[in-house]
Amino acid sequence: MTLRIDSLFVGYGAKTVLNAVTLRASKGELIGLLGSNGSGKSTLIKTIAGINRPSSGTISWNGATNLARLSRRDLAKIVSYVPQNIGQAFALDIREAVLLGRTPHFGTCPGEADWAHVERAIRLLELDELGNRDVTKLSGGQGQRVLIARALAQNAEVLLLDEPTSALDIRYQWQTLSVVRQITRQNDIAGIIAIHDLNQAARFTDRVVFLHEGQVVADGPAADVYSPELIHRVYGVDVELSTYKGYVQVHPGEAHDPPAHAATRDASSVAA
Amino acid sequence: MGIPVSSAPNGGPVVTTAAREAYRAPRSRYALQTAAIALGLVAVLAVALVGIQIGTSDATLQQVLGTFWAKLTASPPDNHAARQIQTIIWELRVPRIALAILGGSTLAIAGSLFQAVLRNPLVSPYTLGIAPAAAFGASLAIVVFGATAGGAVVSLVFGALALAALNTVLVLVIAAKRNLGPTTLILVGIALSQLFGGLTACIQYFAQDEALAAIVRWTWGSVNNALWYQVLVLLGLLALTFPFLQFRSSALNAIAFAGDDAATSLGVPVARVRLELIAIAAALTAVTIAFTGIIGFVGLVAPHIARLVVGSNHRFLIVFSGITGALVLLVADAVGRLVIAPGVIPVGIIDALVGAPLFLYLVIARQKANE
Repeated sequence: MTLRIDSLFVGYGAKTVLNAVTLRASKGELIGLLGSNGSGKSTLIKTIAGINRPSSGTISWNGATNLARLSRRDLAKIVSYVPQNIGQAFALDIREAVLLGRTPHFGTCPGEADWAHVERAIRLLELDELGNRDVTKLSGGQGQRVLIARALAQNAEVLLLDEPTSALDIRYQWQTLSVVRQITRQNDIAGIIAIHDLNQAARFTDRVVFLHEGQVVADGPAADVYSPELIHRVYGVDVELSTYKGYVQVHPGEAHDPPAHAATRDASSVAA
Repeated sequence: MGIPVSSAPNGGPVVTTAAREAYRAPRSRYALQTAAIALGLVAVLAVALVGIQIGTSDATLQQVLGTFWAKLTASPPDNHAARQIQTIIWELRVPRIALAILGGSTLAIAGSLFQAVLRNPLVSPYTLGIAPAAAFGASLAIVVFGATAGGAVVSLVFGALALAALNTVLVLVIAAKRNLGPTTLILVGIALSQLFGGLTACIQYFAQDEALAAIVRWTWGSVNNALWYQVLVLLGLLALTFPFLQFRSSALNAIAFAGDDAATSLGVPVARVRLELIAIAAALTAVTIAFTGIIGFVGLVAPHIARLVVGSNHRFLIVFSGITGALVLLVADAVGRLVIAPGVIPVGIIDALVGAPLFLYLVIARQKANE
């Protein structure tokens, strides 16, 4: 089963944000969506999730289903979405927060199956150790895990994450990314994660897609598509690449060295 | 309905054995909430029965129950004294108590709805400008039709209702046209509040002393002049809207706790639900304050008190906010009739004086419990 996005155009007023985007995501696969701020990553994710409406193009799942034609509720049974932060104004216990993921599945009262999905998501994200704490009292990483558990309880086949790690410290970034990678593989979910860190994308995703000015400019495994030219084109920075334990890694190029360091490097190269 | 193990679209064991065991938990999960609602309803009934007995001519519980029985069986009173006490109970006390119960409920329910759809715990039923608009309408009615004439009461109700409705329509049209988010809606409400506040101040500035006093009295909010038709109108409004609110409670949870984008991705038509619920909350508020004047505090604080007891899930919060609001106004009204008896302090004044310390206590107690 594959998520197929073909010639997708999305605009705000006269401005075109996504320009003929074509993308595939298979089940069990986690795709890293890369690009500079304003490149259209969030817009793409929100369009797949049905939050933005495309001006043209198709998004289909499993060959036949055109997602844009589905009711919101039916779409929510196929696609789940994890926003950047929890932004919680009211106290709410963890189970109730995860239960929100079942909204498309029940009317007014959650049934036994809904609670079973909630408990399963809580266990998978290791939230049971937190008891039934109020989500406003959780750390950033814990809060993010609640949001992912909510998406998992939704029992959808496509999982979209909009920069879920941007507000987290390194420990929770790694933890979140490991969890996302694990649950997409184990549950045969097609995952798309918008992410800023190129090294983490190389490490934790199966494939990366670069968006630049609303267009896909590269698509493939990080080791194949990362190049100093591509990264310069997308981010306007000079980089050097290396390989560590089989993963491609991106480092700032010489132009980004601090002056003192550059002087030392020049001196050492002269001495050599 | 069973657990969809084999039909899971993702394949694989969607529901584990352990999750299956967790199955039984939901049955008792909401036991506290259910018990709180049942106890709350009993408390409302009990306080109402006490409240009906309080007044210049004290009535006994027996007389109160006797009046209900007489009305139920349509049996005429035995003598003049019995007729007198039955008239006092049935024509004065019961409408007053019923208006306190229903007015407290509607304002508190409206408060919980506004707080949820605007995703802001500081919001009250008056944040979108309904109260200042109603006050302007009432002031106009008082100045134009006179403050005390018999027909003035009707014009007062209609004046307040018309302007509150106008304000609501303005907010809804602006919100629908511009697809506004919560913060902008609150700012629109603040602007409209200022506008109608200014207009009311103009009227007050030019009004005669008697009219000015009537305007100020109206803004205190009271159930002193409760009439049966007001009780029936509010009862009808609640009966009509409450089932729909329960039906929308899970959508409301998604909007309040997940935000607009995530709620949309959870299948909720956010803009439509927001407009529907603002319209209902505004109608509940407008009709109530058209009858009672501006009763402050209860609409802001009853939802918070309710949240401390039953949690934030709107499936229980809406109804328990209503119960809390009813209790707050019932107690405030009883206190207002006791402290300077036979004089009566308007319920709008007392509810803030009684409710604020109670609320402070709850907030501090909760803070301590969390530490």
